[in-house]
Amino acid sequence: MVSISLNGQDDFPLFSEASERVGKLKIYFGYAAGVGKTYAMLSDAQEILKDGLDVVVGYVEPHDRPETTSLLNGFEQLSPLSLTYKNMTLKELDLNAALKRKPELILVDELAHTNAEGSRHQKRFQDIEELLRAGIDVYTTVNVQHIESLNDQVSAITGVVVRERIPDRLFDLADQIEVVDIEPVELLDRLNKGRIYQQHKIAQALSHFFTMEKLVALREIALRKTADHINRKANQHTSTNKESPTFTNEHILVCLSGSPSNMKVIRTAARMARAFSAKLTALYVEAADDEHSDAYRSSLQSNIRLAEDSGAQIVTVYGEDIPKQIIEYARASKISKIVAGRTKHLTKWRSKQSFVDKLLDYDPNIDLYIIPDNQDGQLTSRKKTVDFSFSFMETLKSVFLLLICTLIGLWFYVLGFSEANIIILYILGILVNAMVTKGRKYSLVSSIVSVLIFNFTFTEPRFTFKVSDPGHIITFFIMLVAALITSTLTKRIAEQARQASRKAYFTEVLLETSQKLQKTSDEEAIYYETAQQIMKLTNRSIVFYPSKEDHLVDPLFFKHESFTGDQASLLNEHEKAVAEWAFKNNKRAGAGTQTLSNAKCLYLVIRGREHPLAVAGIVYDQSDRLGIFEKSLAIAMLDECALALDKEKATQAQNELYTEMQQEKLRSTLLRAISHDLRLPLTSISGNASLLSASADKLSTEHKQLLYQTIQDDSAWLIRLIENLLSITKLDSGQLQLRTEIELFEEVIDEAIQHLDPAIKDHSLNVETVDDLLMAKMDTQLIIQVFINILNNAIRYTPSGSTISIVARREGPLARIEISDDGDGLTDEEQAHIFDLFYTTNSANSDGRRGLGLGLFLCQSIIEAHGGKIYVKNHFPKGTTFGFTLQAEEVSAHE
Amino acid sequence: MNKPTILIVEDDQAVRKLISTTVELEGYQYRTAETGREGLIELVSKQPDILILDLGLPDMDGVSIVETVRGWSNLPIIIVSARSEDQDKIRALDAGADDYLTKPFSVEELLARLRALLRRLRTDQQTSLLQSSIIENGSLKIDYAAGIVWINDKELHLTPIEYKLISLLAKNIGKVLTHNYILNEVWGKYYDDVPVLRVFMAGLRKKLRENSPGEDYIQTHIGVGYRMLRVEL
Repeated sequence: MVSISLNGQDDFPLFSEASERVGKLKIYFGYAAGVGKTYAMLSDAQEILKDGLDVVVGYVEPHDRPETTSLLNGFEQLSPLSLTYKNMTLKELDLNAALKRKPELILVDELAHTNAEGSRHQKRFQDIEELLRAGIDVYTTVNVQHIESLNDQVSAITGVVVRERIPDRLFDLADQIEVVDIEPVELLDRLNKGRIYQQHKIAQALSHFFTMEKLVALREIALRKTADHINRKANQHTSTNKESPTFTNEHILVCLSGSPSNMKVIRTAARMARAFSAKLTALYVEAADDEHSDAYRSSLQSNIRLAEDSGAQIVTVYGEDIPKQIIEYARASKISKIVAGRTKHLTKWRSKQSFVDKLLDYDPNIDLYIIPDNQDGQLTSRKKTVDFSFSFMETLKSVFLLLICTLIGLWFYVLGFSEANIIILYILGILVNAMVTKGRKYSLVSSIVSVLIFNFTFTEPRFTFKVSDPGHIITFFIMLVAALITSTLTKRIAEQARQASRKAYFTEVLLETSQKLQKTSDEEAIYYETAQQIMKLTNRSIVFYPSKEDHLVDPLFFKHESFTGDQASLLNEHEKAVAEWAFKNNKRAGAGTQTLSNAKCLYLVIRGREHPLAVAGIVYDQSDRLGIFEKSLAIAMLDECALALDKEKATQAQNELYTEMQQEKLRSTLLRAISHDLRLPLTSISGNASLLSASADKLSTEHKQLLYQTIQDDSAWLIRLIENLLSITKLDSGQLQLRTEIELFEEVIDEAIQHLDPAIKDHSLNVETVDDLLMAKMDTQLIIQVFINILNNAIRYTPSGSTISIVARREGPLARIEISDDGDGLTDEEQAHIFDLFYTTNSANSDGRRGLGLGLFLCQSIIEAHGGKIYVKNHFPKGTTFGFTLQAEEVSAHE
Repeated sequence: MNKPTILIVEDDQAVRKLISTTVELEGYQYRTAETGREGLIELVSKQPDILILDLGLPDMDGVSIVETVRGWSNLPIIIVSARSEDQDKIRALDAGADDYLTKPFSVEELLARLRALLRRLRTDQQTSLLQSSIIENGSLKIDYAAGIVWINDKELHLTPIEYKLISLLAKNIGKVLTHNYILNEVWGKYYDDVPVLRVFMAGLRKKLRENSPGEDYIQTHIGVGYRMLRVEL
């Protein structure tokens, strides 16, 4: 069984930018209009205003109730946003202004209000959620009939179906619920005095809604709901971990369908889940032979949305046998209770058992709740809506098949074959028909037409529909039944094959995505592969907005070949703002959603383990929406993408850690080696100095001169060491970039020569720059250090009087520097290790001090950091050549 | 000119002692200051001839001291800096310091810089008297009025930029001119293509060397700038 989680996109715990505080919500809850919710809200707010808090009235419905209006005095009021829709000017809460103003507390009336077309959100409660996320406290009002889960109960009492509804989670989210309650008698009294509605509406209200029994019932529901809320809050306080809602072991499964009556089932399940503190999962079984009308599909979409809003996790599975799929899923997910509608429509005509029987058959131990379905008119909803329109191509195919059968039949007839052969021929034709045409109607009609043609053409009397031989009636009947069974069975096999291939396709595509993503090496490649996969699936262009430090950066656009529109219009500021909204709020937005639905793309958040990583936009340039199948597969792919991105980030962090560790290791090795070697010259310096200061008069002038010289030499050695160490720390500290500049080698070599070991005077030095203007990009101090180290080595390890030569020349794109001496040269063994850290040769050098084995290692590090190569080779006829290359640079200098 | 006075502003006692002993042995007078504030007081009250200024002072930014001093005085300033203060060194030179020493430096190096500056001090006084439009340095002679450069009495053919470069260096003889300063003066503001400057400078030096072998007029200070050296014949 393949299952995909559709949810997540909308049902994510509210989190706000940079984990700022989330605003508190207080709901003034009443059982009917006119109980005084707005009044209570405003008078509370007046008190708070007196305490000095920053209170702003976001939007209050103008009711023409003088007491209420007078309470508005003293508040700062946001001017409402005016939107023109169908020649009507509608006033709405100006969300942007409210977010910009950012008061401590904002008052917004009518939580259940539906915003005018063109607003950012479809519903006002979405505006309020956004205000809360921005850290603003909100006071709002709502009536009991607007609560989603109570909708059925309320409409049962009042007979009115309320369209403006809020999901229960909003009610649960509220930190405070204040019930604004008056006696129904008093409410009716108020109504009669014209304090709720204007005079002409009173009569209508009295007859419809405001009857004593209805008000009492509504009041009871409201009070009960509040009691439930208090109960839940109390439970939350006692549970240790408030972050994650504590689920009991109960897990409720509700069966989804496209039937409008399914809403009632969902609401009941949601109420149950709340009552039991249970996890809720909504399951939709997409059967292979589902061919649904558009109405069914859109009704299914809204049912899915309702389930999401009720806090359910949406799961889609594919399978022929619906009860079996449900039970299989229930077993796998440890479902304790199943809620389903009493659904005749789920029963197939061929099954003898009812849907419920079948469920119980598969698992007798499960708790099953059947919700009566009183909307009889809607019973056909899941039944295949028979479509009487015929496609031209399919009809042509059927006619062609019948024609061929008839022609061959006539030939058989001429040859004198028996009727049985011709009947078999027609049944073969129907079999082929069932295989090649889409939809059962073609094979069904073909079956009947075949019988008629057979009757008309081949049975006596020929060319009439008359039947002379009663035996033929039996023949026709058997032929028809055989044809029908053949067509049905073949169709079923074809459908099963289609379903299997779809399932296989699903698994395959996901597997392929996962495999491809595993091979990617960087972020961009991950986006590329994901986009390719989603494009293959949806045939739409894709936009990715990667994030950097909690902000979206420039989009990556992947164009599908079918896309003909204007690319710029998909990537403009408006679209980016929608993506940014989705990212910040960690919810989907844009086309096909309830938020900012006028955008051109559907924006889905790519969620990493800890926070959103990026936003993917699927272009909605075609008029139709994405199918459930495609959407869920796309979301599954984005999950794969998130996984890959997370992995990529982790790998990067690991690499950084590794380099850091390596550097740390190098540093400590260096420190150990150096502190040992520092002691030698320091001992000599301090010893000689104290000798001189204590017994200068006892020493001969020559002896003293020798001691001075030793001190000087030792300090010079120390200085050189320190220079090398400084270079190493510079290279080593990782975060420090090379400070490169384009330099002339001539100047660099001149500078290096000025800092050589004074013993250079015993050697002859030739500098030959073949190309006067040889330049390279380098960190000058470090390259000078390379020259100094190589040259000083040459000075120290060759006998006095040797010749040292520097040759700098250009070789194609490279600058090649070679420093050669005519000393005794190095053995192959020495050459192999000369650049190793702490490698020293045994040859005695001029000052008798062993080197640290640091200099050439450093040269190698520096040259490699510059992207060059360093090498050592034998010099002809004797001696050693050290060489390195750097990328040469051209400078065009015109006067 | 009698014995010049040198003000040493350096917070490290050992280095201060080393510098003061060195200049004393060479026969200069000296004064010392440990902090920038003290140094500025000394500068105003004692009117020294040369300032040796450490860039890493505890109380004040060395560069701002150079800027302050340049507000009222032209006295030669030698900057002493550690290698890690490369950028400060260039900023100090841009602010008007004349020369620099990088720690660790040798006593000979310090004395050579001091001698060069004192010589410039002397010639400055002379030229300011003469208001001459001709500068001579070794076998190099520049006539600003005519815009001609001679070397060994032979006219040197220079491109306009080369001429501007050599004039600029000669007018500031003995002083290290930073890349930025030269680019600003020769090419104009906001031009910051140091490699181009290097190319022209290399061309200029080549011409000088060809016509006067063995004499080095222009000294390169890697990463900092260029200086014209006074050449004694």
